[in-house]
Amino acid sequence: MALLSFERKYRVRGGTLIGGDLFDFWVGPFYVGFFGVTTAISALLGTLLIFYAASLGPTWNPWLISIAPPDISYGLRLAPLRDGGFWQIITIMAIIAFVSWALREVEICRKLGIGYHVPFAYGFAIFAYVSLEVIRPFLLGAWGFGFPYGIFSHLDWVSNTGYQYLHFHYNPAHMIAVSFFFVTGGALAFHGALVLSSVNPAPGEAVKSPEYEDAFFRDTIGYSVGTLGIHRLGLFLALSAGFWSAICIIISGPLWTRGWPEWWTWWLNLPIWS
Amino acid sequence: MSRILVKATITAISGLGIMLLGGCEPGHKQTSQNGYRGAGLNQIVDARHVVPAAVIPPEAYALPPDGGPLAGQSYQNLKVLGGISKDRFDHLMANINQWVAPPAAGCTYCHNPANMASDEKYTKVVARQMLLMTQTINSQWSPHVKQTGVTCYTCHRGNAVPVNKWANAVGAPNPDSITGNRYGQNAPNADVGYASLPSNGFAEYLNGAKNIRLAADTALPSKDHVVSVKDAEKTYGLMVHLSTALGVNCTYCHNTQSFRAWNLSRPQRATAWYGIRMVRDINQHHIGILQSVFPDYRKGPLGDPYKVNCTTCHQGQAKPLGGVSMIAQAPALKGPTPAAPTVVAVPAAPSAPLALNDAPALLARK
Amino acid sequence: MARYQNLFTQVQLRGPLEAGPPLRDSTFQRSGKGFYNYWLGKLGAAQVGPVYLGTLGMASLLCAFLAFEIIGLNMAASVNWNPVQFVRQLPWLALEPPGPEWGFTPFVPLAKGGWWIIAGFFMTSSLLLWWLRTYRRARALGMGTHVAWAFAAGIFLIITLGFIRPMLMGSWAEAVPFGIFPHLDWTAAFSIRYGNLFYNPFHCLSIVFLYGSTLLFAMHGATILAVGRYGGEREIEQITDRGTASERAALFWRWTMGFNATMESIHRWAWWFAVLTPLTGGIGILLTGTVVDNWYLWAVTHHYAPGYPGTGVIDPATLPGAPK
Repeated sequence: MALLSFERKYRVRGGTLIGGDLFDFWVGPFYVGFFGVTTAISALLGTLLIFYAASLGPTWNPWLISIAPPDISYGLRLAPLRDGGFWQIITIMAIIAFVSWALREVEICRKLGIGYHVPFAYGFAIFAYVSLEVIRPFLLGAWGFGFPYGIFSHLDWVSNTGYQYLHFHYNPAHMIAVSFFFVTGGALAFHGALVLSSVNPAPGEAVKSPEYEDAFFRDTIGYSVGTLGIHRLGLFLALSAGFWSAICIIISGPLWTRGWPEWWTWWLNLPIWS
Repeated sequence: MSRILVKATITAISGLGIMLLGGCEPGHKQTSQNGYRGAGLNQIVDARHVVPAAVIPPEAYALPPDGGPLAGQSYQNLKVLGGISKDRFDHLMANINQWVAPPAAGCTYCHNPANMASDEKYTKVVARQMLLMTQTINSQWSPHVKQTGVTCYTCHRGNAVPVNKWANAVGAPNPDSITGNRYGQNAPNADVGYASLPSNGFAEYLNGAKNIRLAADTALPSKDHVVSVKDAEKTYGLMVHLSTALGVNCTYCHNTQSFRAWNLSRPQRATAWYGIRMVRDINQHHIGILQSVFPDYRKGPLGDPYKVNCTTCHQGQAKPLGGVSMIAQAPALKGPTPAAPTVVAVPAAPSAPLALNDAPALLARK
Repeated sequence: MARYQNLFTQVQLRGPLEAGPPLRDSTFQRSGKGFYNYWLGKLGAAQVGPVYLGTLGMASLLCAFLAFEIIGLNMAASVNWNPVQFVRQLPWLALEPPGPEWGFTPFVPLAKGGWWIIAGFFMTSSLLLWWLRTYRRARALGMGTHVAWAFAAGIFLIITLGFIRPMLMGSWAEAVPFGIFPHLDWTAAFSIRYGNLFYNPFHCLSIVFLYGSTLLFAMHGATILAVGRYGGEREIEQITDRGTASERAALFWRWTMGFNATMESIHRWAWWFAVLTPLTGGIGILLTGTVVDNWYLWAVTHHYAPGYPGTGVIDPATLPGAPK
């Protein structure tokens, strides 16, 4: 397999968490490692189960395939395969695959001598997923509260679960999460654009230095967070978006069951107004 | 300096957190599923917020057997209940005493004790209309009240005037000025669950007959279906009222994949559809015509009598009084069987499941 | 342990403040010399300012101020100028667009939505003036105009929501109100009116790009911080003269997912994901009500709406003898 011109000198042994040298090798561009093996097995098993469950369903239309969790009458027990059992096993496989992937990233970080920021960040995505499929169903006492695996059916779940609270946009954690998503999008656009505008300057110009980047944002809005700061800021914004998304769904049901607009009456009823 | 700042920040954040959690309800939840699994069609209710079972008052005395002289022969000036037996009539009057009349007033709340037949008290005129209304509800609105039926107690609950009612709201002092003008929305209002949705929908939808339906019945735009987003906000406000009145959420009736599609909706939606028309009938034909009868202190700020909405009967329960039927205590309220029933349309029982991705069938229905 | 993760600046340097490169073709000079802020310096640059005000900037700020004041004063008027209730009810307050009875005429009485049109005009003016400013500031430094074009994508979405789509629909009433909760009401009512926006394919794309942008920024931000010990944040140097930070960052993703961007191309990925979020979203808004009236039924027609067991319930209005 083709290696990048500089790749050979980085392909060294060591850095594994488990398994010593046993799985310390690459397949094509992919690093394997012990957690690569567990990722591959769980991801393959989960994917095959999705296809098998789909083959038992009414359609092969990819937009319509849906593998739903059990009825909530099953509570936190295992359900028959065709009544949500597939969903349960697929969920277990997904969590194994996601966690293995994160640990594999840790091994790669160790091998490359870099920080653990990426697996740490990925942990927030796993947390959001686990919140939806494990933590909230567990708190509500039934796996049936998880979302189904289907491209559009999971949107129906989102819609119906939202309208269980009459108007989900009034969920304060949802407000925070959406705000972080939008701000992240804006910050990413500006960061990407700023770097591109420095290395792709006006015609006939030399490539610009970070001093110009700082000057552009100081001229425009009075502050430039700087080359290192923008990556700290971006990571914070992105992780906050994921974190508050998880919070907004965990509290919906376990901590609040009425319409979300009604939640705001605590503000209206503060003693400071009279 | 920085240490104090850090401490202040931690205190502020934890204080804010405690305050926000204070608005929450961590207790036991009751859950139920009302649709296909995994579609999010669930009810989740905090056990503490379940409306407690209503106290059904004991009967004044056991219902006497039918028969004997008719009330119309025994009493003067009977216009609604003349055809029932005197014993049953007396029993109903005793029940109304418990269900509606203030204990201190008793019979005299409506009647002049010196001349029971007299219509001099406005309350007697209103009561007569209400008896007629109850008979109409039980005989003609069975698609909504089913066989459970309603009695005076369903709404009154021992009060002379039902607790939950509405009248036209006072608008802006000057509709052409922005001062004090909320345009019927953008204020925390319990009628719309404290959202900023329009709360002036009762007059249009529950007294008037404004169209509630929003989404088009065709995929593509049509000149026959022009509905503004502002109308959608009004309908949304009304539906929040329905949900709160029944202590349920939107998915009690709808699969929000399509609010509009009836064969995705539960039979409860059809029940509610009749309920809305029943409320219009009550407000227009039984309360509206009493405009000149009610004294001013029984009217809203704009001089219209207090009207009913879903909360008047439901009071936070999907079925008023938890579904307990009291109609056996007052068979006279079942009303005369109409010669030609005006409402025969009962929602069909769920038939064999129809796959919705059966697009031709769905589109053929439009 | 924490100190090696490069999450906060451990040692802040203090020296002469950066004045910035000379400006070309500019009417004004930069205002002020700037100052240091210790807490900002913990996360990023400690220097605040100087700023270039300029004609466009001042005109834009003036327009923004006018829009802000019109909205705020309308809200204050709605609570009878009561300052306590203004604060208490602020999240509920709004400045609403004209009702459907006004169509799309620009001449609407002030209290019936005229103020909304004026506020919208000043907000749009402010955004467009600021857009010109981003373009001119970039050129004054000899840089590319990528920031301006990214900003333009966002402005496109805002103008689509408040002007282009209402114009196509012939009704101001289709536009978004100014207000914290009220604009959320509009969003939800819009979805219900047009038969579930989740079935709008462009809404799907916009969400994908929004989540994708967040994912990308998490991946990129984390990668750069992880290779911070090799000077990874000096991206321009890494683009023009690749160093070990860039190589390790690339190999991390190559070994993880079999594919990697380069130090420059990751910023192109970022730019496109972020820019396509409002672009696809705006297209989805433009098509709603103009081309498609009920997205769920449109999805049924095009075979992408999942089916559920039918309940057998029939529209009571279609039954014989139904009440009106």
